[in-house]
Amino acid sequence: MLWTRRVVASILSAVQAAIVVEGLVKRYAGRVALGGVTFDVGSGEIVGLLGPNGAGKSTMLSILATLLVADAGTATVAGHRLPDAARAVRRAVGLVPQQTAVYPTLTAAENLRFFARMQGLGGAAATAAVQRALALIGLEGRADEPVWRFSGGMRRRLNLACGILHEPRVLLLDEPTVGVDPQSRERIFAAVDELARAGAAILYSTHDMEEAERLARRIVLLDRGQVAAAGTAAELVAAARLTPRLRLRTARVLPEHWLANVDGVRALGGTGTEAVVEVADTAVVPAVLRAAADAGGDVRELALHRPSLADVFFTLTGHALRDDESPAAAAG
Amino acid sequence: MLAALGAAIAKDLRLLARDRASLVFLALAPVVVITVAGFSLAGLFGAPPGGARAYVLPVADEDGGRLGRALREGLAGEQAIEIRPVAGSEAARALVRDGTAGAALVIPPGASAALWAGRPTSLLLYTDPVKYLEVANVGALVQEARHRLEEAARARAGHRLAVTRHQARAARLRFARSSRILRRELDRLGAELAAARSEGARQLAAAHAETEATVRAAAARQAGALRVRLAAELAPLHQFLAQLAERQRAFAAWLTDVKARAGRFADRLPPPPEPPALPSGILTLDPNALAERLLPPGDTSLDVRLPRLELAPPPSLPALDLPAFPEAPPARLPGSLHLEQVSVTGAPSRLNAFDQNVPGFSVTFLLLGMLLGVSLGLLDERDWGTLERLRAMPAPFAATLVAKLVARFVVGLAQMIGLFAIGRVVFGVSLGPEPWALLLPTAGIVFAATAFGLVVAGTARSRDAVLPVGSIVIVTMAAVGGCWWPIELEPGWMRQAALALPTTWAMRAYNDLMIRREHLAAALEPTAMLVAHGAAYLLLGLVLFRRRTLGRV
Repeated sequence: MLWTRRVVASILSAVQAAIVVEGLVKRYAGRVALGGVTFDVGSGEIVGLLGPNGAGKSTMLSILATLLVADAGTATVAGHRLPDAARAVRRAVGLVPQQTAVYPTLTAAENLRFFARMQGLGGAAATAAVQRALALIGLEGRADEPVWRFSGGMRRRLNLACGILHEPRVLLLDEPTVGVDPQSRERIFAAVDELARAGAAILYSTHDMEEAERLARRIVLLDRGQVAAAGTAAELVAAARLTPRLRLRTARVLPEHWLANVDGVRALGGTGTEAVVEVADTAVVPAVLRAAADAGGDVRELALHRPSLADVFFTLTGHALRDDESPAAAAG
Repeated sequence: MLAALGAAIAKDLRLLARDRASLVFLALAPVVVITVAGFSLAGLFGAPPGGARAYVLPVADEDGGRLGRALREGLAGEQAIEIRPVAGSEAARALVRDGTAGAALVIPPGASAALWAGRPTSLLLYTDPVKYLEVANVGALVQEARHRLEEAARARAGHRLAVTRHQARAARLRFARSSRILRRELDRLGAELAAARSEGARQLAAAHAETEATVRAAAARQAGALRVRLAAELAPLHQFLAQLAERQRAFAAWLTDVKARAGRFADRLPPPPEPPALPSGILTLDPNALAERLLPPGDTSLDVRLPRLELAPPPSLPALDLPAFPEAPPARLPGSLHLEQVSVTGAPSRLNAFDQNVPGFSVTFLLLGMLLGVSLGLLDERDWGTLERLRAMPAPFAATLVAKLVARFVVGLAQMIGLFAIGRVVFGVSLGPEPWALLLPTAGIVFAATAFGLVVAGTARSRDAVLPVGSIVIVTMAAVGGCWWPIELEPGWMRQAALALPTTWAMRAYNDLMIRREHLAAALEPTAMLVAHGAAYLLLGLVLFRRRTLGRV
C-alpha cells in the first residue's frame, strides 16, 4: 500500500514537475561545472539545492533562468524546453539572485514597478503586483523609501519581491537569506512557503542546511557538478548511515575502556575531559551516563546530537575548503 | 517591447535624477571648468573676456609729450591691457623682470618732438620671451595703437593737404577769373585808347586848323596894326634919316670948308669917319610903303604854319599773357599699408575665448558624463545584479541596453543644450547665424559619446577600471581633438591623427558654426563623421559588452 502510494506520488510529481533536469552538462573552458545533473521540482514543491562553493548551484540556476546555455542534457522549465523556448521560460520563471539586485537610489515601489513592467505587466496589473509583493514581504510601510536606506534584511525581502511580481510558476532562489536578520528570514521563509502553497515550483539554493531542512521538501546535494545525494532530509541522513552522537564533559578524564560494558555504542574519541560517543539508538543514553559515572567521570555536561543535513553534507562533501572551485574561479 | 523600453528609460532617468553627484558633474562641473578655462585660456585668443584679468602693461613715458598721451588714450580702450604708468624705463624693465608684466612700453625722451618735426622715432618694448603669448598679444595691441596714431596723424595731414589743395584750387579759379577780367579790361582799354587817340587826332587837326586860321587872322590883324605902327615908327626914323642925310651933306660941306680953311694943314687932318652910306632910296622911301613892304597886306603875306602836332601813339598795352595758375600738384601722402584681416566667412577676426571653450569643455564633460552614465551605469547594473535579473526577464536584453543608451543620449543632448545656453547667456558665446544647426553636430557627438561609453563598459573588467582607462582615453580624445585649445596649435601629424577622433569632428563643426559663422552645410560632413564614429562605437560596444556580460556566470 505504501509502495503504491509512493509510486503514484512519483508519477504525479513527474507529470506536474515544473523543472525537469536530465543529464545537464556545463563546462567552462574545459572545467566541468555540471557533469550530468538530473533532478526535478514539482509544482508547489520546494527543493533545496545544496552544495559547497563550486558545486554548480549558480550554474544550474543560471541555466534554468536562461542566463546560460547547457552544453549537454536537457532542461525543461514550466513545460518549456531550454534553450529553445527561453522567452517562454522567462515569462514563467522568477529569479531571485544571490545579490540584492535592486536599484539603491530608487524606492522599493519604484524598483518593483520597474521590474513588473519588465516582466510585461501593464499599468494596473503592475500596480496590483507591486502592492501584492509589498504585502507579502511586509514592506508596505516603506514602499516609498529609497532602497539605500533599507537594512540588509529589507533589501533581501525586496529582492525576493522583485522576483515574484508576475506570480511565476517557477521560482529560482539563490541564497535569498544571506546576511539577514532572523525576523526578515522568517518573513522570507513565510513568503516562500506561501508561494509554494500557491503552486510555484521553488528551487532554493542555499548553504544553510538548517533552512534547507526546514523549507525544502526535498534536497538535491550537488558536489563538483554532480548530484551527490537527493531526497528528503531524512532520506539523506538515512542514506548517509549517520547515527546520533553523545557529547559528554566530565570533571575528570575518563579511563580508556569506560564504555566496554555498554552495547550499541562506539567511542569516537575526544580531548581531555570531553568524550564523543556514537550511539545506535538514543535509548542507550542512560546506560552511557551510568558507565561514565561508574568510571568516576562525574558528567558535568551532556549533549545529544542527532544526525542532520549538515552532517550529511560534510560526510558527502568533506571539510576541505572549496575556494578555488567558486563560480568566479570557474568562470574565469 | 516599447513599454519595457519606456520603463527602462524612465528608470535610467530616475536613477540619474537621484544621483546628485552625477547631476553636479553633468551640470555644475562643466560650467565651473568652462568658466575657469575660459578666463585662464583667454590669452590664447588675445581677447580676455569681460571680467578677466587684463595684461599689465607698464608704460614709461620719458617723453611726457603728446605721443605718450595719445598712446595711453589709444590703449585705454583695450580690455586686454591694463596700463600701469611707471616713472621710467628702469621701472618698466623691473616689472617685466619680476614677472609682473610680460612686456613694458617705453616712450623715449624727445619722441613727440621728433615725430611732430617729421623725424623718425622709435618706441621701446621690453619683453619677457617666456610669456610669448602675452608679448605677442600686447605687442599686437601696441602696434595697433601705434598704427592708429599714425593713421590719425596721416588723416590730419591728409586733411590739411586737402584743405590746402582746396584753397589753392579756389585761388586758381579766382586767379583765372581775375585774369579773364583783366584781359577783357585790357582789351577794352586798348580799344578805348585807340578811339581816344583817333578822336584826339581829329580834334587836334581841327584845333590845328582853327588855330592856324585864328593865328593867321590875328597875324593879319597884327600885321595891319604893325604896318600902321611901323609906318608910324618909321616916319621919325625916315625923318631922322633924312636929317641925317642932310647933316651928312652939311658935314661934308663943313669938312670941305674946314679943309679949305686948314689950307696947308688940310693934309694933316685925319679923314673923318666915313658916314654910313644911306641905302639908296631909303630917304625917298615912304614909310607907309616901307611898312607895306615890310608887312605885306593880306593873309597870303603871312604864312602862318603851326607845327603839326601829332598825338603820340597810345602806349601799347602789354599783351596780357598771364600764365595759367598752376593746378595744385597732386601731392598726396603716401598711402599707409594696412593688413586687413577679413574672415572668409565674415566672422569677426577676434573671437570670444568662450566660443572655443564652451563647446570644447562641453564635449569633454559630455564624454566624461557618458563614462559615468553609460559605462559605470552598465557596470553598476552588472555589479548590482540587476542586469542579470533583467536578462532573466521577458523584456529583450536589447531593450535594457537601448534604454540606457537612449536615456543617456537624451541626457547628453540636454546637457549640451544647457551648457550652450549657459554659454550664450553668461559668456555671450556666438551660436552662429543658424543656432539650430548646432543641433546636428551636438546630436552626432552625443551619439558617438554614448556609444563610446558602451565601448568602455565592454572593455573595462570592473568598475574600478572604468575611470582610469576611460578618463585617459577621453582626456586624450578631448585634448587631441581640439576641445581644450585650437587644434591648429597641434603639429600636423597630430591633426591628421585627430581625424580618427569624434571630438575633432565635433569641434570642427562647432568652430565652423560658432566662430567662422558658417551655415548648416558646414556641419553636414562633421555630423556624418560623428554618426559614423557613433555607429562604429555602437557596434564595437555591443560586441564587447555582450561578450563580457554574457560570458559571466
